[in-house]
Amino acid sequence: MASATSPLTCSASDLAPLLGATANATAAAAFLCSRFTAISDRFVDTSYAVDNTYLLFSAYLVFAMQLGFAMLCAGSVRAKNTMNIMLTNVLDAAAGGISYYLFGYAFAFGSPSNGFIGKHFFGLKEFPSPLADYSFFLYQWAFAIAAAGITSGSIAERTQFVAYLIYSSFLTGFVYPIVSHWFWSGDGWASPARTSGPLLFSSGAIDFAGSGVVHMVGGIAGLWGALIEGPRIGRFDRSGRSVALRGHSASLVVLGSFLLWFGWYGFNPGSFLTILKAYGTGGDYYGQWSAVGRTAVTTTLAGCTAALTTLFSKRLLVGHWTVTDVCNGLLGGFAAITSGCSVVEPWAAMVCGFVAAWVLIGCNKLAERFKYDDPLEAAQLHGGCGAWGLLFTGLFARGGYVDEVYGGHGRPHGLFMGGGGRLLAAQIVQILVIAGWVTATMGPLFYWLHKMKLLRISGEDEMHGMDLTRHGGFAYAYTDEDDQSLRAGVMMRKVEPASASPIGQPQFSPSAV
Amino acid sequence: MEVSWETSVTDSINTIYLLFSAYLVFVMQLGFAMLCAGSVRAKNAMNIMLTNVVDAVVGSISYYLFGFAFAFGDSNPFIGTYYFALKDIPSSSYDYSYFLYQWAFAIAVAGITSGSIAERTQFSAYLIFSFFLTGFVYPIVAHWMWSSSGWLSPSATSPFLGSGAIDFAGSGVVHLVGGVAGLWGSLIEGPRVGRFDAFGKAVPMRGHNATLVVLGTFLLWFGWFGFNPGSFDKILVSYPTTSDQGNWTGVGRTAVTTTLAGSTAGIVTLFGRRLLVGHWDALDVCNGVIGGFVAITSGCSVVEPWAAIVCGFVAAWVLIGLNIVALRLQFDDPLEATQLHGGCGAWGLIFTGLFAKEDFVVQAYDSGASGVSRPYGLLMGGGWGLIASQVVEVVVIVGWVSATMGPLFYALYKLKILRISMDEEMAGMDISSHGGYAYTGHSDENHPRFYADYMQIRGQ
Repeated sequence: MASATSPLTCSASDLAPLLGATANATAAAAFLCSRFTAISDRFVDTSYAVDNTYLLFSAYLVFAMQLGFAMLCAGSVRAKNTMNIMLTNVLDAAAGGISYYLFGYAFAFGSPSNGFIGKHFFGLKEFPSPLADYSFFLYQWAFAIAAAGITSGSIAERTQFVAYLIYSSFLTGFVYPIVSHWFWSGDGWASPARTSGPLLFSSGAIDFAGSGVVHMVGGIAGLWGALIEGPRIGRFDRSGRSVALRGHSASLVVLGSFLLWFGWYGFNPGSFLTILKAYGTGGDYYGQWSAVGRTAVTTTLAGCTAALTTLFSKRLLVGHWTVTDVCNGLLGGFAAITSGCSVVEPWAAMVCGFVAAWVLIGCNKLAERFKYDDPLEAAQLHGGCGAWGLLFTGLFARGGYVDEVYGGHGRPHGLFMGGGGRLLAAQIVQILVIAGWVTATMGPLFYWLHKMKLLRISGEDEMHGMDLTRHGGFAYAYTDEDDQSLRAGVMMRKVEPASASPIGQPQFSPSAV
Repeated sequence: MEVSWETSVTDSINTIYLLFSAYLVFVMQLGFAMLCAGSVRAKNAMNIMLTNVVDAVVGSISYYLFGFAFAFGDSNPFIGTYYFALKDIPSSSYDYSYFLYQWAFAIAVAGITSGSIAERTQFSAYLIFSFFLTGFVYPIVAHWMWSSSGWLSPSATSPFLGSGAIDFAGSGVVHLVGGVAGLWGSLIEGPRVGRFDAFGKAVPMRGHNATLVVLGTFLLWFGWFGFNPGSFDKILVSYPTTSDQGNWTGVGRTAVTTTLAGSTAGIVTLFGRRLLVGHWDALDVCNGVIGGFVAITSGCSVVEPWAAIVCGFVAAWVLIGLNIVALRLQFDDPLEATQLHGGCGAWGLIFTGLFAKEDFVVQAYDSGASGVSRPYGLLMGGGWGLIASQVVEVVVIVGWVSATMGPLFYALYKLKILRISMDEEMAGMDISSHGGYAYTGHSDENHPRFYADYMQIRGQ
């Protein structure tokens, strides 16, 4: 398994002449070579074990983000829609698992193929290959289900469940994998690691962990869904002023944000895929493991800077300290740094976070101006901060890091770092094609669902809350009086909540989750 | 004798892998606590969460003192006889990481049973059964299946029927054991007050917080990535008949089969319940997902990913069916633990006997050595040896757990320390036995809840 340049290779014809023309020379040469080969094999096995452990645990962390996003969503919507939004999050993971296994992974990484779409490994046929093991599939699955989750936030509280199942399978199984093929596959036309053709602008677009591939895709899809559906009832009053429809639990929002932060340590550093790799630059203490650590640091700094910036700006703008806005700012910082986390210096990550906070605030103001209602601010956060993150990378990527991560020497890098404009141009192309592709696929899908009257729920459903009308009952029952199924008397065969509105709306104290 | 560099590297990597898997399995305690809390009525939340904490802390002591010894003191086929209080650990066979990993499994079992007897069991009864289950009943089963001297283990020198029963991460050892224990507790106690009306019709008793149920389910899913793949124990083992595969491949494949089984079970439950009850039920989907995981736990490492989809599909129907049967027989299990862990666990064992692939069995139990053959799945052409062993496993587990936990619960019942009084049950266990409610509601209407109201009150 050792390569030709490895110092551990050995061939009998190389060694025998050195030992002289004795009868045992051949045997000695064969003996030595077999020992070296055995050692080399052990090293290879070790690095497989180490790298797979690293990637698998990173995948588990990315999966934990599903949980974080479920809690964020639950806390951000009204109590009467909690069951609905959480069910959509569970199903993202479950339905995404099946569709990504059957064909999503194949479209994304089915090499060798062409620059646009993959065509091998449907149903993981002929897998594992020398290029990828199961850990890679699981890691990519965890990313795929994240993208669909983002979109669910934009269309929360007013979307029919059937529409949800349809768009989610389509996004995870087709729209998203195609984008990931373009930027992450060895065949992708815009990939910086492209091996089967020329690099875009001799550079490729750098989106290390998916500001564009994951966040923009999810955000733009959400944008179209929310635009076509229209705002929630009561969100903008008759004079056009916006009315805050507050979520029902700040505790859940914070819990979810912290879990997303926790999971981001798999999302960003894990995108290196392997950890046991020496770069040959710097001292022998410096290798891919250092870059992994640096990526965790840039991630942390971007999020923290964005959160603090949001804290103080909102204090200036609205007069008090708002934890839910700070949480959104934090997540915006993470979404932005995701593109360049591995190729920028830590100080640059702070710049990224600072600007991301203002991008989010600006996008939110725009949304209000245009009467655009997004319950989780998903389009503004993931779409807006994701796009900023791509631009940021085109400005601040450091040449040495780009060379290490993507291979090569003297590759185009950040404009402000003396790397020329080609990387920035590629980043801009990425923003445009993602916006275009997602609009061209998800826009018509949402519009068709709307025309078929499958998209938005009825006004009556919306007023009562989907938990009551579509999901068997409310999420919360803090006293026995709340539990309508305990009514005295003969029970009917199917028990559905009888009242039209929540009886005795529970008062939520800080001790309740 | 000094440790060689190569051994150090191998052992370090394997230990990291096993320890982090152990931490993930421990996270399942948190997940199960949330699942339980959300599934019971608010007036019993403190009680059920305390039982979950107690499972972990009481189980730690009993498992350390003698549970681990009974399970892994590899001496005779029935019960272990050394390593009491971890004497002579680390040994050449087991290190601390292995103990911690097995501890995390042991404390999971009692948690399962607590679900069946929730909302009506005296706390002292709880302590007794938990100590006994984690310290004795469960380790014996683990010994039979997982110790290299166990009579039903595939790692024994001459395995049962030439095969041994394959229960890789414990559909039987953990889930079926917990489920059957719960069955007896719940049967002997009887249903909760008001669960079945005077005509015998079931009255749904909804949990108080669906968000906690979903949170708990996702945490269990997350933790299952330690429960199933971690059961390989070592990740740095290469398969000699390949050039780039080893346990790292098997581990990854196990994580994939686990995911697919749970996903499929969740989706099937979604549509199945939509047909049966007319709406999309998030809580049923959560139970379905968990049922899929429970079922695949037995064969996760030895089946193809497509087979995991079959496993999950059937597990969903097993759960739905058993729930209907439970209602018909007036069996009340607040967490559906018997149906889920017992029923889907038993299905998981049978599934493995049908779908195990020989290559994978050899990888899991012989480190992929060449020239080794083992019985494998009946539907894959592997003969009757494996499926017969699986059936034997189901039968002996049901028999052993019934013979131990049945009389224990009956004795507690006879001594009147099993079930709480009806007054206590109506008031709720939190207020009657645990010092007060988990939740305090605001009763004063005058306090402002929104900033705008607050500013109004301040006259600005």
